[in-house]
Amino acid sequence: MTEIGKARWATKFPELGTKPIAIEPLVSQDMFERERDEIFKKTWLKVGRVEEVAKVGDYKVKRIDVANTSIILMHGKDGRIRAFHNVCSHRANKVVDEVGEETFGNSRAAVMTCRFHGWVYDAEGDIVHIPQEEMFLSCIDKKEDGLASVHCDVWNGFIFINLAEIPKQGLKEYLKGYANHFEAFPFDDHPYCYTYVTELNCNWKIGVDAFAEAYHVQTIHAGTFPGVRSIEFNDVELFGDHRTGGIYVDSGAPPSPAAALAHKLARASLGEFADTSLLPATINPQRRENFVFELSVMFPNFLLHVTDGLWFTHQFWPISKDKTLWEGKYYVSKPSSYSMLWGLEHSQILQRNAWLEDTATMEATHAAAESGAKSKMFLQDEEVLLRHGYHVLAKYTGIPTEIE
Amino acid sequence: MSNTLPTGFEQLEPFAADWALATQNERSTKRRAASPNELKAFYNAVFPEVQRILEACDKFPVGSLPPSHQPLFNLSLSVAEVSPHVENYGGSPDVPFAFEETRFLSAHGDHATWRSEPPSRG
Repeated sequence: MTEIGKARWATKFPELGTKPIAIEPLVSQDMFERERDEIFKKTWLKVGRVEEVAKVGDYKVKRIDVANTSIILMHGKDGRIRAFHNVCSHRANKVVDEVGEETFGNSRAAVMTCRFHGWVYDAEGDIVHIPQEEMFLSCIDKKEDGLASVHCDVWNGFIFINLAEIPKQGLKEYLKGYANHFEAFPFDDHPYCYTYVTELNCNWKIGVDAFAEAYHVQTIHAGTFPGVRSIEFNDVELFGDHRTGGIYVDSGAPPSPAAALAHKLARASLGEFADTSLLPATINPQRRENFVFELSVMFPNFLLHVTDGLWFTHQFWPISKDKTLWEGKYYVSKPSSYSMLWGLEHSQILQRNAWLEDTATMEATHAAAESGAKSKMFLQDEEVLLRHGYHVLAKYTGIPTEIE
Repeated sequence: MSNTLPTGFEQLEPFAADWALATQNERSTKRRAASPNELKAFYNAVFPEVQRILEACDKFPVGSLPPSHQPLFNLSLSVAEVSPHVENYGGSPDVPFAFEETRFLSAHGDHATWRSEPPSRG
């Protein structure tokens, strides 16, 4: 067993402690309700990228099941993106018809029209037209009684909402040093996005935790990334509620023939080392050659990972205490040739397969946690991001997450 | 659309009917339904030709592949789909120790890959 003095991250972050973590928060209805009320209805949540609503009049509707609502993100004529609950002011119908968890559309006039009785709203949420308006005997204020607005802000192309009536802090203040850490990364340069979604029968934190450490790589990914001889988690930094670190790999085997060809044709795979000279100074600050990618968790439910030439994200949206919507997105450069497109396809398929390996554990972990056979879990020093996550969770919910 | 391959690739013709599939969903469905021996036979025959296939397709700008070359490129994409199963998973048609693949839904899965239009949205 490692002594505390040798544990780099326990030494650097003594406030996180070293005790086992309680299993109960993964399966508790009480914890789920506290998370809903104190976290998901109060903190900033990433809900999209500006490219998804690139033009004036583009809109996206995203369901936020945990808060029992759907949010419209609308790109207005003034260039601003605003957020509204998708609820008509007339008789509470959904203004935009939804076709699933996410719905996309465009209105050339940048207006939204409710299909029920034809009430029309502009991109600022104000009512601009009510059919047979003269028949309404009560006074309707077209601004006051417009769509219910939601706080919305953008950082580095990521669109965030905050469902609180008055957020405790602005987005920049909420992100703190996390925003600086990733500020110089060229997200826009790699806009070609492969998206996967699924509904998992597990608590949302089990999903976040599974992707927030590299300890599992040599076991879980022995099939898809067999070349990993050893793995190190370095550069750990905590930024308020958020956390990050870098993954470094000692590679034991050359890539397989098809992977080697894909690496030659496109920079799109985690199976090869990054060209560190292309990274912002905050990422792999010591410029070590065996850097693979930076792994970060933006509280509460968003994981952002970057390396040179590509980046990818995971997001875990709670539906109930034991049901979670997962979205995985893999961003690479736009292909300039069919050779490159083939390289992207191969790299992306390998990553998909790795994600199939990752998600395989999640429902099993939840089912086992529900058994009640165990009350605690043990975290090693390089699982420090999980430890920080439970530390922050206790702060927001007031429910202890450590086992005394 | 016919799955006939351009001149110079006639020897791959026996694989075209089964494996020249335009979308990732079609290719992964085909891969899951294939036997380990079928996967290996396909990989062994077509992987050595992938670079030559891509050189032929690179004569056209991305997104403008003519119908004559679409089956050829689609064939090479099936190699990308199948290669981890032959090279890493011992011929297993499924990813071993993995989540149920059919529950993974992809936004790009039913796009014709050669068009190079994965969703910027969703």
